[in-house]
Amino acid sequence: MKIVVIDYGIGNVKSIINSFEKQNIKAILSRDKQVILEADGLILPGVGAFSHGMNNLNKYGLVPIIKEYVKTEKPLLGICLGMQMLFERSEEFLNTEGIGLIKGSVIKLPIESSNKIKLPHISWNEIIPKKILWSNTILDDIKVNSNMYFVHTFVGNPENDKDILSITKYHGVEFCSSIKKNNIYGCQFHPEKSAETGLYIISNFIKICRKIN
Amino acid sequence: MNKIRIIARLDIKNDYVIKGIHLEGLRKVGNPNEMAIRYYNQGVDEIIFMDAVAAYYDRNSLSEIIEMTCKDVFVPITVGGGIRKIEDIQTALNAGADKTAINTAAVRNPNFIKEASEIFGSQCIVASIDAKKIANNKWEVYVDNGREPTGKDVLEWAKEVESLGAGEIMITSIDKEGTKRGYDLELNKLISELVSIPIISSGGAGSKEHISDVIKNTNIDAVSIASVFHYNIETVDSLKEYLINEKKIQIRL
Amino acid sequence: MLRQVYILSVTLLKFVVKLIKKMKKKQAYFGLPEEVKFCKKCVISNQRPSSTIEFKNEKGEKKKVINFNDDGICSACVYNEEKEKRISWEDREEKLKKLLSQFRSTDGSYDVIVPGSGGKDSAFTAHVLKYKYGMNPLTVTWSPHLYTDIGWKNMQEWMHTGGLDNILYTPNGILHKEMTKNAFHNLLHPFQPFIVGQRIIGPAMAKKFGVKLVMYGENQAEYGNAIEENTNPIMNMDFFSSDDEMNMKFGGVSMKEYIETGKYSKDDFAPYIAPEKKDLIKAGVEVHYLGYYLRWDPQECYYYSVENTGFQANPVRTEGTYSKYSSIDDKIDPFHYFTTLIKFGIGRCTYDAAQEVRNDKITREEAAYLVKKYDTEFPEIYFQEFLNYIDSSEDEFWETVNKHRSPHIWKEVNGEWKLRHNVSLTGTDDKN
Repeated sequence: MKIVVIDYGIGNVKSIINSFEKQNIKAILSRDKQVILEADGLILPGVGAFSHGMNNLNKYGLVPIIKEYVKTEKPLLGICLGMQMLFERSEEFLNTEGIGLIKGSVIKLPIESSNKIKLPHISWNEIIPKKILWSNTILDDIKVNSNMYFVHTFVGNPENDKDILSITKYHGVEFCSSIKKNNIYGCQFHPEKSAETGLYIISNFIKICRKIN
Repeated sequence: MNKIRIIARLDIKNDYVIKGIHLEGLRKVGNPNEMAIRYYNQGVDEIIFMDAVAAYYDRNSLSEIIEMTCKDVFVPITVGGGIRKIEDIQTALNAGADKTAINTAAVRNPNFIKEASEIFGSQCIVASIDAKKIANNKWEVYVDNGREPTGKDVLEWAKEVESLGAGEIMITSIDKEGTKRGYDLELNKLISELVSIPIISSGGAGSKEHISDVIKNTNIDAVSIASVFHYNIETVDSLKEYLINEKKIQIRL
Repeated sequence: MLRQVYILSVTLLKFVVKLIKKMKKKQAYFGLPEEVKFCKKCVISNQRPSSTIEFKNEKGEKKKVINFNDDGICSACVYNEEKEKRISWEDREEKLKKLLSQFRSTDGSYDVIVPGSGGKDSAFTAHVLKYKYGMNPLTVTWSPHLYTDIGWKNMQEWMHTGGLDNILYTPNGILHKEMTKNAFHNLLHPFQPFIVGQRIIGPAMAKKFGVKLVMYGENQAEYGNAIEENTNPIMNMDFFSSDDEMNMKFGGVSMKEYIETGKYSKDDFAPYIAPEKKDLIKAGVEVHYLGYYLRWDPQECYYYSVENTGFQANPVRTEGTYSKYSSIDDKIDPFHYFTTLIKFGIGRCTYDAAQEVRNDKITREEAAYLVKKYDTEFPEIYFQEFLNYIDSSEDEFWETVNKHRSPHIWKEVNGEWKLRHNVSLTGTDDKN
């Protein structure tokens, strides 16, 4: 079982690798085309600014490689900024182009920050299903309203409702907290930082990778 | 309503977790890795590791502890103490930390926060402020692990770090720290009403009632707890149970 | 004839050269050991003086110093090892309980005098005697020269929060200042008169109140007096009693000489006159160290006093060291340590760090680093107040200071004074 974590110089990759290690899988950090295409499962990590992330991906020529990988229908999981970059564009700073695998834009959380409503959104928060049933996805067997760890100011906003795997509410404002389109997954939260529930999501991802291969 | 985060704070000297009073004293209370795992298993939301003597020895040396802890602890980890340059942040993140807490270096050069948050993102940068009360509703910023006064006003400095791009503020009351007599409610109330970034309250908890008090009476977003956990006054789960069931506070279970 | 003259002049020349060489050789002041050595375990040097009978202290006196064994380890570390391995603290506590039961009062009167200032050590001592061991202590404070705010606050909290009785005894400031001034200029030991009074107040108050037991906190053997002194719980009476009052020396000047100036009479010396040995023996007064009976850890005293007697550490770091809670009640205190730096080459940080190495709080490497960072820091904050107190100008201060720099410890390099040896081996004479 070859799990590859994309190395483009961004993101807390140690924890991601450790969370796979906990399930006895040795995930590899790489930006090599061959290694990525031969992976059984691919992780796109990331934290921080969208433009910075895209710059680095482009610097290493990774966008076409990711698109080629996705064509093989093997599973891909984007985490946090990694999920955001799957979208077409982001409104952060200037309009920056994303990878474009999911229709929609990345926008700022539509909420006015104040001393009662803090931004960035740093907290444990609940995920709820929208239209997609969770069984046989990375959220298989996860209890509805489970708390996951979020830390972000921007959110991905899918054009197509069908792509929404889960939603989350922050001070009454609903946003998309995870996506699924065929075998492309994205989590706005950090499964590798969400304790046992998060580790379960990782093991679900591994299960899906196994099924496909 | 946002869920309040329960954070365990571990002050480290060499191979030990230590617990002082007023940021003074190096009494050993346990092994860092063991304690972090214990709190994780009990359901803690985050862990903070502070190098308690980085200021004395002009070093910072928690990388090994972080690397080890990351293997078994899957909640966010913040590292502070002796973070002085961009390379220090990179080293901490490479070791597995999610956030770094910066105090002295930011006071000496506020631009450091701006630079760091631009490179690593605001969510990685926690501005750590150590506050000593000097008059009614007035606190002074201290650096070097609570040893050197700076003449800076805490509330003004809090607003400044927010504008420089810090993602969170950890506010520690030097007067209350380690005393187990409760948080500085005035300080926490004022600072949490002043800024729009999350506030982590630190310093003074001695009982579960103290923790519920600071949550209920201020706008803070997270509580950092040391003595209560290290001296086994409460376990993480007994504390959460009390806060959720008896005080009806929203917390991740 | 010519040959004999030649031989004579060569011999003479050789003799003269030898004489010059001998004169140039660094003569150690105060009879201190010529060779400067540092303990292999902690950071103290072999120049550290042992406790002396202060009222016999006069100019030019030879100092007794801490002992180093053949392995290069100081007696404080040796004692510490013994403390760890060979002493049964359960037995010692039993001894304490037996001792206290002999002195415990049954009629509500005071049964133990605890001298101290409300710092962490005396705060611990008095509180634990009262609340754990059921004694009825009277704390007695020999007033600091000049109270710091935090020192006064802690002293008050000792009473108000700690729940103890106290008598604060402040000696006549005019005489005290003059003695201190003399002590500074004659001995470079400004604290000498203070220490005389401090040692006396315990037994003196005991005699006055009809109390037989005096209990101090730590024993100086912890820090390097002769180990034999620590096998005995009782303080040597010579420290606080005298049989020859008129020749007691304060600042190197005898009481007789002060009186002869016409400014003072014998009455003024009451706070400094040690009780007579025979009177103390008749009254059954015993002076003990709690540190003999309970395992002493100054850091734990800090925690205890914060939790029980309202003690607060200084908000800022103390000059000359890294600590915030040791000895913070007297503005003159930093000059006591500064003068030990001048005379013995070791400052406040060395003392603090050495103790913490022994008590396993820091490693020797860390201690050496701290010493390098803080030991020679000049105490700027209260300098002007100190000069006012001893009625001296800044020039006079430095003149006296520089007169006491022993050449075997200090070297003048480009107008600056540098240590020949330090614990990090970066002194001017250290081989790197």
